[in-house]
Amino acid sequence: MFSISGNRFSRSPFAIIFASMVLTSIGLFSLLSISVHQSSDILGSSFFKQLVFLGPSLIGLLTVIFIPKYLIHKYIFTMYFIVIGVLFLPYFGRTIAGTYRWIELGPFGFQPSEFAKWIIVISLAKYLSDHNLEMKNLSSFFFPLIMVVIPAVVILKQPDLGTALVIFTPLLPMLYWAGARPYHIFLFLAPLLSVLTAFHTLSFSIWGVFMIIIIFFERPKLIFGLVIYFSNLFLGLLAPMFWDSLKDYQQNRILAFFDQKLDPLGAAYQIIQSQTAIGSGGAFGKGWGAGTQTHLKFLPVQESDFILSVIGEELGFVFILVIILIFTWMILKMVKLGYSSKDRFSGLVLIGIASLFLAHVFVNTAMTVGMIPVKGLPLPFISSGGSFLLSCFMMVGIVMNVGVDSNE
Amino acid sequence: MLKAKNLVSKLRYYIINGVVIFLMLILLSRFFYLQIFRYEKYIQKAEINRIRAVTINAPRGLILDRNGKILVDNYPTYILTAIPGEMEQKEKIFNTISQCTGIDSAIIAENFRKYYRAKFVPTRLIKDLTFQQISILEENKLDLPGVNYKQFPERYYPSRINGSHFLGYLKEVDKPILEKLRDPNVYELGDLIGWSGLEKFYESQLRGKRGVKYLEVDALGREMEEVKGYKNRRSEPGADLKLMIDADLQFLMEDQMKDYRGIAVISNPMTGEILAYVSKPDYPPNIFTGKMLKDDWNEVRNDPHRPLMDRVITGLYPPGSTFKIITVLSLLEENLLDPSNEVECSGSYQFGDRIFRCWNETGHGSVNLQVGVAQSCNIYFYKMVQRLSLVQWADICFDFGFGQKTGINLPYEKTGIIPTEKYMNRKYGKWGWSRGNLLNLALGQGDVLVTPIQMVQFINQIATHGNAGELHFVKNDNTKKENQPQLSDNTWNKIEKYLLATVSDDRGTGRAADPKIKGLRIGGKTGTAENPHGDPHAWFIGFGQKENKIVTTVILIENGGHGGEIAAPIARRAYSQYFLPKTQSQMVFKTP
Repeated sequence: MFSISGNRFSRSPFAIIFASMVLTSIGLFSLLSISVHQSSDILGSSFFKQLVFLGPSLIGLLTVIFIPKYLIHKYIFTMYFIVIGVLFLPYFGRTIAGTYRWIELGPFGFQPSEFAKWIIVISLAKYLSDHNLEMKNLSSFFFPLIMVVIPAVVILKQPDLGTALVIFTPLLPMLYWAGARPYHIFLFLAPLLSVLTAFHTLSFSIWGVFMIIIIFFERPKLIFGLVIYFSNLFLGLLAPMFWDSLKDYQQNRILAFFDQKLDPLGAAYQIIQSQTAIGSGGAFGKGWGAGTQTHLKFLPVQESDFILSVIGEELGFVFILVIILIFTWMILKMVKLGYSSKDRFSGLVLIGIASLFLAHVFVNTAMTVGMIPVKGLPLPFISSGGSFLLSCFMMVGIVMNVGVDSNE
Repeated sequence: MLKAKNLVSKLRYYIINGVVIFLMLILLSRFFYLQIFRYEKYIQKAEINRIRAVTINAPRGLILDRNGKILVDNYPTYILTAIPGEMEQKEKIFNTISQCTGIDSAIIAENFRKYYRAKFVPTRLIKDLTFQQISILEENKLDLPGVNYKQFPERYYPSRINGSHFLGYLKEVDKPILEKLRDPNVYELGDLIGWSGLEKFYESQLRGKRGVKYLEVDALGREMEEVKGYKNRRSEPGADLKLMIDADLQFLMEDQMKDYRGIAVISNPMTGEILAYVSKPDYPPNIFTGKMLKDDWNEVRNDPHRPLMDRVITGLYPPGSTFKIITVLSLLEENLLDPSNEVECSGSYQFGDRIFRCWNETGHGSVNLQVGVAQSCNIYFYKMVQRLSLVQWADICFDFGFGQKTGINLPYEKTGIIPTEKYMNRKYGKWGWSRGNLLNLALGQGDVLVTPIQMVQFINQIATHGNAGELHFVKNDNTKKENQPQLSDNTWNKIEKYLLATVSDDRGTGRAADPKIKGLRIGGKTGTAENPHGDPHAWFIGFGQKENKIVTTVILIENGGHGGEIAAPIARRAYSQYFLPKTQSQMVFKTP
């Protein structure tokens, strides 16, 4: 047993662990800067907490690596239902920072949604690998969608739009990986894009032309093509009218649903300060501990959501480049492992996990540079946060676990 | 089932790879754009964020009298400012401030709106806080994010003289003023700017240069430390203004004039120094400082006697009989008159179909030139002025600076009116006026209007035989006037003799102006100017000379009656004070 385990371990893609440790170190380095220069109490600082959480995280990583894959495959649906149940638990507790994200375990808070993410991915992988041949039909989207929507709605209600979006993200890549037709994915995404582009004339026009091209090449029955095209256009045209017909307070209520702390000035302020921090860092940064935006606290939630702005300010573009390259390498490595996996289940798990990482990195980074509205979503390995760090390392563990058998 | 084969097309694998790389490239290019291309912009923004330039107000220059006594001083007050972007709950903060200072929070909110410029520019909330109020606020600083205070010098008037019209007052720079200023960068909202009098005229000299201190601040606006690499600039106080005003004399004249509407100006004709300058009614200058009450302001502004008006330079008056001097000078200079020629004054005189009357209804009898001047006989002048043309008469007026600004260093001076042919033609039509109008002008009535300051210049020229100094408040090199009137010595000597007689003769109209001091010669001319507003205005213009000390007085009492009875006695007190000074400093200056 031990030799088998040792064998498994030695054949795992070690470099991914190494990369994640490098990222964690950069994160700790920045947290140390924040802690040393801002708080007199190092033991209570985010740096120290993160360092402490690194222990359980590594234990979690090792544990996941050594769980036999077939056990994971066998019990993942059970896990799925347990985690959905656990997601409801915070609603019985009290709110923390106005949300129901946390379960209190003694002195620690623990976020079940962090673990739900990859449990859902593995469940999807199991479902999709078991229903391989039916993927050519649009109707086979139905069950995977339900599997994602239920936990997403619960998390959205916490409210935590960021995590809810991240939970949706792996669905399409995994369906695609499992063999879904791109045209079906297009039909799936079309209504969403129609509504979103409708608020911007040029985007909406481009989208309209794009739809014609796709429908033309796909050649569905004329009547279906027309129905798809015009119902999308109609939806798009209706959206702004519907929006405008709402009273101000109703609009605000909807906006506030998407972003709990919706204060246009406040959100704009955060983005401006983050961009200023990053831009003023320049190529090589202001030096460790010398970030004025960071240490004079112009930068909000700097130890978690905006940690990348701290790095951008103090360490400069060079470190940002390193971080993004490492993430890119990690994600591409997972995709490659997925491509060369022997079994379909492993491949889908790897694609799903890669999507999760990509979603986190993209949303968090795009948020810090002001490309998308503020959403509270941390950066893997780097942002402080116990549950999240543990969850990230467990995802690495899963990658190692299922990646062992790849042909690479 | 773990046995399901992993069958994924290479195309799909490449597409997924492509998507990942594409998204990452978008992120990288955005970072590249921000950190490399826009570095300059953002480093500046970061500096602006962390560095607060705190203005240090420069104290204005002091205003001193000729003996170096302080007429206008500064005293420190505190103003409270707030940075709007750093105040999270305005209402709550305003309430806290209100509790600390006892000032209504509605007033604070109103000031906030009034002075608001931008989200991160300190906005004034309250001014004139005492040290004690500031201490209480300081204790509550933690509840007042974004709220700061700074010292602010205000004007303070340590003497009992008003001097309101020449000292002038300051005004707070508000938005409409700021927009109109030629160089708006010199001022900030809430600064004080000289708005009238010498404060306005010498604004650039008095105002000084404000300094700046750079502090590093955190996101809550708390000041952390002074910034290295940024050079603080100290404020430079404004230059002091030394006036030629004699506070004792000024105080005396204000006291003498306190029951009247009118003016009193005492000056040194040789140098042009103004020793006393009174325009009544006036107002205490400190009503414009500090917590100026709206009621006070309205009272001053709505007073029908218009205390805000500086009558010396903006009041237009008929000069009355004082203008007989002009006629005399004109006749003598043109050789149109033998001073010994006598004219019979019976109390009235018919010219055409109009009857002109002398002020002495029983008549003066035989009147020669000296008697005509000294007793101010109207009939003499009605007859004699007919030898002149309007052009000749007006030329002398212009020679003495009437119809033009004197150029004294105060803003808003008026020019008055000297009627010329052109003026008369325009006003009455070519055939609508006649020499009869000249008869009125000879007595300083009719269309002629002068400002008192022009009369000061006029008597100064006579007292110095056309060698008067430029009128001025502020010590200068005692420059002489350009374009001095050029008259013959004979003319100067004669007019001086007649004016001396006006005061020294037993029947001279100006005899009340003589304080009877040994060796002091007083000359002058009274005037009783008819006007449409009621009783005539009482004038006295004159000079006093003892050895090489010489001084002139111009007194005007609106609707005061006869110049010799009302105005001349006031001049007498001025001469007494000037030639036998009694120091009144203890009365004039408030004990500190």
